[in-house]
Amino acid sequence: MTTGAALGSRTTAGPGHRRALRGSTGWQGWGWIFVLPGLVGLVVFVVTPMVASLVLGFFDATLLGGLTPVGLDNFSRMVGDRQFLNSVVVTTLFVLIFVPLNIALSTAMALWLRTRLAGRSWLRVIFLIPALSPMVANAAVFRMLLQRDGLFNSVLDAVGLGAIPWLSEGRWALAAIILVSVWQTFGYNMIIIGAGLDSVNPDVISASRIDGAGALRRLWSITIPLTSPALFFATVMTVIGAWQTFAQSYIITGGGPGDSTTTIMLYLYRTAFSYNQLGYASAISAALFLIIATVTLIQVWGQKKWVHYDG
Amino acid sequence: MTANASMLPTTGSGPLPPADESRGTRAAPHPGRRRSRRGWILSSALAWLVALIFMMPIIWTFLTALKPGNEVFSSGLRPFGSEILWSNFAAAWTEIGFGRLLANSVGVAAVTTVLTLAIATCTAYAFSRLRFRGRHGLFVLFVLTLTLPMEIAVVPLFLGFNAVNLLDTWTALILPSLFGAFGAFLLRQFMLQIPGEIEDAARIDGASTPRILTTIIVPLVRPALAVLAVFTFLGSWNSFLWPLIILNSMDKWTLPLGLAGFTTQTGTQWELLMAACVLTLIPVIVLVIVAQRQLVAAIGAGAFGGR
Repeated sequence: MTTGAALGSRTTAGPGHRRALRGSTGWQGWGWIFVLPGLVGLVVFVVTPMVASLVLGFFDATLLGGLTPVGLDNFSRMVGDRQFLNSVVVTTLFVLIFVPLNIALSTAMALWLRTRLAGRSWLRVIFLIPALSPMVANAAVFRMLLQRDGLFNSVLDAVGLGAIPWLSEGRWALAAIILVSVWQTFGYNMIIIGAGLDSVNPDVISASRIDGAGALRRLWSITIPLTSPALFFATVMTVIGAWQTFAQSYIITGGGPGDSTTTIMLYLYRTAFSYNQLGYASAISAALFLIIATVTLIQVWGQKKWVHYDG
Repeated sequence: MTANASMLPTTGSGPLPPADESRGTRAAPHPGRRRSRRGWILSSALAWLVALIFMMPIIWTFLTALKPGNEVFSSGLRPFGSEILWSNFAAAWTEIGFGRLLANSVGVAAVTTVLTLAIATCTAYAFSRLRFRGRHGLFVLFVLTLTLPMEIAVVPLFLGFNAVNLLDTWTALILPSLFGAFGAFLLRQFMLQIPGEIEDAARIDGASTPRILTTIIVPLVRPALAVLAVFTFLGSWNSFLWPLIILNSMDKWTLPLGLAGFTTQTGTQWELLMAACVLTLIPVIVLVIVAQRQLVAAIGAGAFGGR
């Protein structure tokens, strides 16, 4: 496989591309036949439900009661719904603390694991184990560890810091949700960022070293910018996932105490499947969609300022 | 190597630090900045200490699973209770019907993976190597859906499956997860790199389009298929929200649902719940030990395929 042909076929104008397509023009119908299963599925199970989710927000819908159009009622209700607004605040706080913490820690660990360490490949794998285990299992484990007399408090007691009311005080409960979420996704982001670090040209680092750049300066001015595509990918994916946090709250705190850990997704789930208000739940999912889309667009727009694609 | 080794401080008779094992590291050893052996030992010890702390929840889960029920919280920091009850594992197995849950989870994940791979392969093949009307427009549609989180569509999906009487079925559980654009996009990136000459040659020899796909394209993108298989399997294995919404009958539950049901019951039997968590972790840890290198590589590759 020559690189010329491989690269050429990737750009629409390259000669390799034209040749590849010419070889396949025997009967044009094959294209549609091959694209059809995926296309039908995508339209039926992804595009339509998403559009329907927006439309359903304008209806009063219950599981058995059918649909009644209510105009903008669901949306105006949201503005005055303290529980909904609270869930937005809780989720925003979660995202603002969890994402930077997660990215900073996994970047630090990815950098550390590039130095010479005994059994380094095993260390990588150890940090990956929680990411491969179901969130529900991880959450159940943390629910035990965070009990009044659980492991965490036993350690805190032993070192004289005193127990923390992890599950009975709002702020600590949110901290607990963040803790398990970092633990869950840490290894995954570490691998992604590590793969980005691997793609940095070592000559650039050596050159800057010869130019007399210190370790911190090298990290900040060379390594981080060159790893920025991986950092960007990890951040965007982590942010999108963080807005949809569900299982952690559902299992560990049940959204409490009070509503201190009720995330948007948990509130949406309750509205739809405990209170049978499917129309209102759809309006909430439209709002969640708007939030995620806006935040993602801001990140994509902002990447010009810090992401460099030609390492 | 001997010359280098002799430059290291020879304070002990222990083995020398092993050579860099990772292929990925390109940082050439810099004579002036070579880490001393003491630095290497310290850094390694510290890293393993961090790893040990990181693993503590799992280790503690295992230790708790061996304790008598009334000593789960009263034992403080003591690793073992008054007796070691391996029988907790058997009790947990029967209590939550672990065998059934495991079989359901593996079955659902396997079917999901096979179907997702088949559909994504066909889509990617059409987009990367076949010419047809509307190709560009359709591809844009696929890419647009890439960034949309599926979770926001749960209510209409639920209503849709209710309308066709498919609630509480594996069909409703599996179908929506098969059509994400990620797989098609990932495979397309790999298929674009296959030179057209190979295909032309096969066509001259009289091979049909489906035959070219199965005998030429698929074998060439096998690494990408493996990455997608790992991702799809894990996604299904770990998914919770959609199964929670769609499945009512306990005999159809997957592992996360079984664990959740066990967790939220009043008066949790912690030692049994922790035994069940250990049982859930065992397949993961076995996978990690067997496929250590490939797993790390696969996740890194997946990250960049999706970019």
